[in-house]
Amino acid sequence: MNTLIYTSVLGFGLMVLEVLKLRKWISPAIILGLSLIFGINIHDWNQPGSYMGNMLEISNFTVAFNALAIFITLLIAMLASEYYSDEEHHISDYMAIMTFVLCGAQMMLGYANLVLFFIGIETLSISLYALSGSKRFDAKSNEAGFKYFLMGSFASGFLLFGIALMYGATQSFDLNKLAEYAMGTSVSPLFLTGLLLVLFALFFKVSAAPFHFWAPDVYEGAPSIITAFMSTLVKVVGFAAFYKFLHVFGYLIPVKFDWLITLVAILSLVTGNLSALAQENFKRLMAYSGISHAGYLLIGLVGAAAFPSSAILYYGLGYSLSTIGAFAIAMAVFKSTGSESISAFNGLGKKNPVLAACLTATMLGLAGIPPFAGFFGKFYIFSEAIQNGHFYLVLVGILSSMIGIYYYMKVVIAMYAKPANETKIEISLTNQLVMWLCLVLVLLIGIMPSLVTGLF
Amino acid sequence: MNPITNPESTTNWYLFLSCLLFSIGVMGVLFRKNALIILMCIELMLNAVNLLLVSFSAYSGNTDGQTFVFFIMVVAAAEVAVGLALMVSIYRNIGSIDIQSLNKLKW
Amino acid sequence: MESTIVFYLLSALSVISALFVVFSRSPIYSVLSLIVCFFTIAGHYIMLNAQFLAIIHIIVYAGAIMVLMLFTVMLLNLNKELGTHKFNLTKLMAVITGGLMFLVIIASVKSSSLANYQAPAYLNIGNAEDIGMKLFTDYLLPFEISSVLFVSAMISAVLLAKKEVK
Repeated sequence: MNTLIYTSVLGFGLMVLEVLKLRKWISPAIILGLSLIFGINIHDWNQPGSYMGNMLEISNFTVAFNALAIFITLLIAMLASEYYSDEEHHISDYMAIMTFVLCGAQMMLGYANLVLFFIGIETLSISLYALSGSKRFDAKSNEAGFKYFLMGSFASGFLLFGIALMYGATQSFDLNKLAEYAMGTSVSPLFLTGLLLVLFALFFKVSAAPFHFWAPDVYEGAPSIITAFMSTLVKVVGFAAFYKFLHVFGYLIPVKFDWLITLVAILSLVTGNLSALAQENFKRLMAYSGISHAGYLLIGLVGAAAFPSSAILYYGLGYSLSTIGAFAIAMAVFKSTGSESISAFNGLGKKNPVLAACLTATMLGLAGIPPFAGFFGKFYIFSEAIQNGHFYLVLVGILSSMIGIYYYMKVVIAMYAKPANETKIEISLTNQLVMWLCLVLVLLIGIMPSLVTGLF
Repeated sequence: MNPITNPESTTNWYLFLSCLLFSIGVMGVLFRKNALIILMCIELMLNAVNLLLVSFSAYSGNTDGQTFVFFIMVVAAAEVAVGLALMVSIYRNIGSIDIQSLNKLKW
Repeated sequence: MESTIVFYLLSALSVISALFVVFSRSPIYSVLSLIVCFFTIAGHYIMLNAQFLAIIHIIVYAGAIMVLMLFTVMLLNLNKELGTHKFNLTKLMAVITGGLMFLVIIASVKSSSLANYQAPAYLNIGNAEDIGMKLFTDYLLPFEISSVLFVSAMISAVLLAKKEVK
């Protein structure tokens, strides 16, 4: 509860700083503020409770995912202070909107009532529509923002219709009451149709195939920093909210809709990995890679009631850190080469061996090769799925991660095997710091997974 | 059959009506190429949901649904503000809001 | 009995004006027919004894949102037909999808038993007092936190639409 309040206060505070003409304090303020909020959030550990008439529920699950969301935002804010250094007069706007995205994320993680869930998902999305379109003189960015907006609000229409039907069956938005109803003997078709529509909207938010069409375009067109933000925060938070939603209804969703989640998981794995093969643009590649990672996470949601949430947390952490690390390097490369295609990385191995080695490490992490976190994350999810008896899903997962290795290697090959064409890449101190932080953490939790999986 | 006084049929009539409006909204989103009209069709979808919630709420004597409608209106207003701002900025750059002219990024 | 007639009349008007939004050739007519549609929905709210929402609905939708849309139409001078209006495959698919969507939803919910529903006894709900009580007790957190949504939307709109030299 306090976390949410202080995060919104931080957002407002950043704008006050702009009004007081303390522009150069904005970046330090957001970094300091988010670190403090991280501490405040950790303070809630092992202190479960529900607040404001069971609107917001704080459990260890919420605290852990909140901590991850705050940490992602912190890393992105550090990168953003560098990325927006030549656009100083707007920095307060960008930073404040990012903080509000975090607010929305916290609502989605702590909801105990569908009303709060809806407000959270919309706060997150509406802020992100604007951020994706925020390069105003770039037609691509405008287009990305607008596409995201149109499709996102179309999906929220379905979400609302689903919630309304569920309300019709139960006369309540409270998750406890809905759960009670779902455990009852007769479940009305209204309720099931509603659930199905809400599931569609959630699939859209986490960009699982066949609801993924927006993702590559939006990721390509949006400013790189926002792409990094969307591909990590939205995905992780979306999955956490998804997990929570499935978990509430116990075995109702596994019994009724497991086929749907299985189908979407397989489709995401296949489409994501196969389409990624053909990509020449690094951001599009990351978008399709994100779709395939949504597929791996969805394997974890099949039969959600039997699945431990720590697997999702661990996978999300590994995925986010690798992605942010990759983007920290890629943004420096894009800035100095002015191109966003994979060929921009040509010859990086000769020019900047350290950067190339780090980028290789993050790519291997995403591909799921030991000792990075990506490997154990996949291993954890697959072994849980086998225990629950989903062999065919694991088979598809393993096959598609083999395809995955190929396209991640494309970036690595570009760096080492292709001739260099540019001068040395300049990378700022902030980007280096973020890069090293991500890398060390990915290795650390890759070698000692119990640091995260042992949490709960 | 009297749709207003017959208890069983009435909500079903409202359910029917709002499903119809919702589907018209969905069809409009897919049908039109003009971004502004797509936005209006999305508003229509949200209104169909509002109608459904109000009718459920009125027939079960439970205020929660009507309170939620209040929040949907809040969100719709915010969404339209951001959407129209995006549309204006697109129009400034490419001089059209036909979604077929949004082809810098392939779909 | 009058209420039955009013119900059918309003419903027919809503559906016709909604169809007009989709099929009309000029954006201005679409906007105007959407306003008509919103008024008929407000009529439905009054029939359902939700007077407070009916008023809010007219103020927010017809008053604010649609005026904003009209402004955009005028400002961008959009009142001309975009593209061809031929009935091609995409549009046919759109109509089919919309129709199927309707059939599927209706088919899946029509058999639902609405056992806990009684005829509207015109219980004491839907007035400003009742909704106010809910908003400031049970729904206090979403009510307050919507301010974050609004501020974010406001900054975003200004950020995106403010004119600025390159």
